[in-house]
Amino acid sequence: MPLTDVFKLAFRAVIAQRLRSFLTLLGIAIGIAAVILLTSIGEGIHRYVLGEFTQFGTNVISVHPGKVKTGGAALTGLPSSAKPLSLEDAEALMRLPNVVAVTPSVFGNAEASTAGRLRRVTVYGVGPDMLKVFKGRVRSGRFLPVEDANSARALGVLGPKLKYELFGADNALGARIRLGGLQFRVIGVMESKGQFLGMDLDDTAFIPAARAIELFNRESLSEIDVAVAEGVSSVSVMTEIKKVMLARHGREDFTLISQEEMLTSLSSILDVLTMAVGALGGISLFVGGVGIVTMMTISVTERTAEIGLLVALGARRRTILGLFLSEAVALAAVGGVIGLLLGVGIAQMIHLAVPVLPVHTPLLFVLLAEALAISIGLAAGVLPARRAAQLNPVDALRSE
Amino acid sequence: MRYADILCFARDAATAYPLRTTLSVLAMAIGVASVVLLTALGDGARRYVVGQFSSLGSNLVIVLPGRSATGGFNPANGITTTPRDLTVDDAAALLRAPAVQRVAPLAVGTSEISAGGRLREVVAAGSTASLMAVRNFQLAQGRFLPEDDWRSSAPVAVIGMTVRNDIFGNQPAVGQLIRLGDRRVRVIGVLKSTGQGVGMNTDELVIVPVALAQALFNSNTLFRIMIQARGREQIEAAKAQATAIIKARHGGEEDVTVITQDAVLATFDKLLGALTAAVAGIAAISLLVAGVLVMNVMLVAVTQRRAEIGLIKALGARGSTIQQIFLAEAAMLSLAGAVAGYLLGQLGALVLRQLFPVFPAYAPGWAVAAALMTALVTGLLFGILPARRAAQLDPVDALMRH
Repeated sequence: MPLTDVFKLAFRAVIAQRLRSFLTLLGIAIGIAAVILLTSIGEGIHRYVLGEFTQFGTNVISVHPGKVKTGGAALTGLPSSAKPLSLEDAEALMRLPNVVAVTPSVFGNAEASTAGRLRRVTVYGVGPDMLKVFKGRVRSGRFLPVEDANSARALGVLGPKLKYELFGADNALGARIRLGGLQFRVIGVMESKGQFLGMDLDDTAFIPAARAIELFNRESLSEIDVAVAEGVSSVSVMTEIKKVMLARHGREDFTLISQEEMLTSLSSILDVLTMAVGALGGISLFVGGVGIVTMMTISVTERTAEIGLLVALGARRRTILGLFLSEAVALAAVGGVIGLLLGVGIAQMIHLAVPVLPVHTPLLFVLLAEALAISIGLAAGVLPARRAAQLNPVDALRSE
Repeated sequence: MRYADILCFARDAATAYPLRTTLSVLAMAIGVASVVLLTALGDGARRYVVGQFSSLGSNLVIVLPGRSATGGFNPANGITTTPRDLTVDDAAALLRAPAVQRVAPLAVGTSEISAGGRLREVVAAGSTASLMAVRNFQLAQGRFLPEDDWRSSAPVAVIGMTVRNDIFGNQPAVGQLIRLGDRRVRVIGVLKSTGQGVGMNTDELVIVPVALAQALFNSNTLFRIMIQARGREQIEAAKAQATAIIKARHGGEEDVTVITQDAVLATFDKLLGALTAAVAGIAAISLLVAGVLVMNVMLVAVTQRRAEIGLIKALGARGSTIQQIFLAEAAMLSLAGAVAGYLLGQLGALVLRQLFPVFPAYAPGWAVAAALMTALVTGLLFGILPARRAAQLDPVDALMRH
């Protein structure tokens, strides 16, 4: 039998039982829609989180005090008996090749006040190169000037929210503010950065690292962040940093974390999550597959006489097998397409209704889902189709 | 027609086509089983976390240094430095609060421990004798930190089980000298193994007197102050009193965050509960698919049993009776599926519990009830259309076509 005839017969069989076929493919469609919808949300969140992290630049390597054997980040900020990081360490790293910018970093929580207004904020002690490392921008005034790190003047740059809370619409430049026990002169206001993983990045004050060490009465830095030149592998720079730090400290009492590595591991975790959520939706798809098996089995029983006649007329078993298989695949494929439309549609509707929830459907998922639907059709069709192919024509005709 | 007859009729009709019936029951069972199993997983995670938190100690109020103006618990406050330290004297002052039973200051940092040529990195916690009661610690050997002045730094340490095994192996640990950072301290006790817990893994912990820890890390500030309230109803009072005392001591500036264990627990409880419900909802989509299948199978049954329906109608049965027969069959299919799925799901949860004994994977009652009800309701709902179709058949037409 020519292939076109096989398809025609399968198509006619699908059309002949309209409601039944519709319900069968509806089962698959719901399953595919669930998978697409869930993976779309998962992928959307994946992109959102990666975007949040990459806004600080992807080529940053951070040096933390203390060595953690099992890898991953050390408990930042915890005091340690290991040799602390110093401003001189940061300066030494600046001299390395392929290093674009280095900023020491000390952070803490202090009370900021001006004439009568008071607010508790996160204070970052940084270097003048902080903007280059973390891709920040100054809205008005200027950022911390380049000067000797150990005797930096008491100048401060405010986050936009802090500026608004302390000064309202007034000009903040040149004004004096009090952070903890020290006086600072405001020389700039940052561009808004928004929220990052629940932390408000605009409710901050930036001051020179040496002043922050004084403010928090510490001896050392919380971390040192190094920006690597574009197009240079961070691994080679990491080995250089390690060499310099080893020479300076005498032993490995620091941990290096590259943003690239962190993003890779974060990305793979989020991938697994998306897969897991997709698998949950896959349960429905599986049930839809059981639906196809059931309906095809019923179909074979009902059309026993027809099959017997076909075989008696000389149709080969392979043709019968192909006939029923293509019917199952057709059902699944159409169901898959409807499910895709349904899933993408609902995902976009959710995005419209709840703009905070990011949604994204990559083409790859669409193709995979459709391929999955078709292969479910194939797998589900095999059993009934074999049953049909193995019918004895004499018995089959007699059953009428 | 009597109800018993209707049931028998439906049963015979279902068993006449074993393969088709099995498959629809299987579809329904997969749906119910996945709901039961997934909620068991979700609720198990919730119970596990709640259990871990309760093992931290009861009636806990925790004082953290630092506060954010935007309110709420800010992750940045978790570990941070402030201009004004949270000191051991602050902790001692909290003992004056009437609602407070015990106070344990906590200074935490990382350090290196070595003895007999073996060396490893550990988390060292500085605290006092009351930490044992506050945190519900249990000792495997020796004794806990001695009850003495918080400012004295007796060179003693209590170590976790993993640290003990790593450093001493089979040798006795209690009474031995170890080097911690640049200090020499004597091991006086070993903590009972508790496994992985929330917050701090006590198996890899070294506990020393708070003054010693602060000398070791060269800092005056505390990481936390753990307060045990006098009773459950005193927790809020203890929180208010602790905040007031610290504020008074810090020159009227409220630069600490005071959280209660209950508040943290409630947040986790809510979060994981919502997660479980979401997962159950996703799994319930498969019940919808199974419902569609039941409807399809019932529609086929109506077509195949046209003659039979026509005959019964010709004999005087009313449309409502026919409808009942088909609804009974649909209900039977979904009930069988629901029960099979329930058993399958519970079996899965049982296997899970056997594989991971620490993980209490029990499906919550509401989820089981909801899964069974959803299965039945979808089965019945999707049975309505075929049943009405059967009821509206014209007897003459139906008999003639045969």
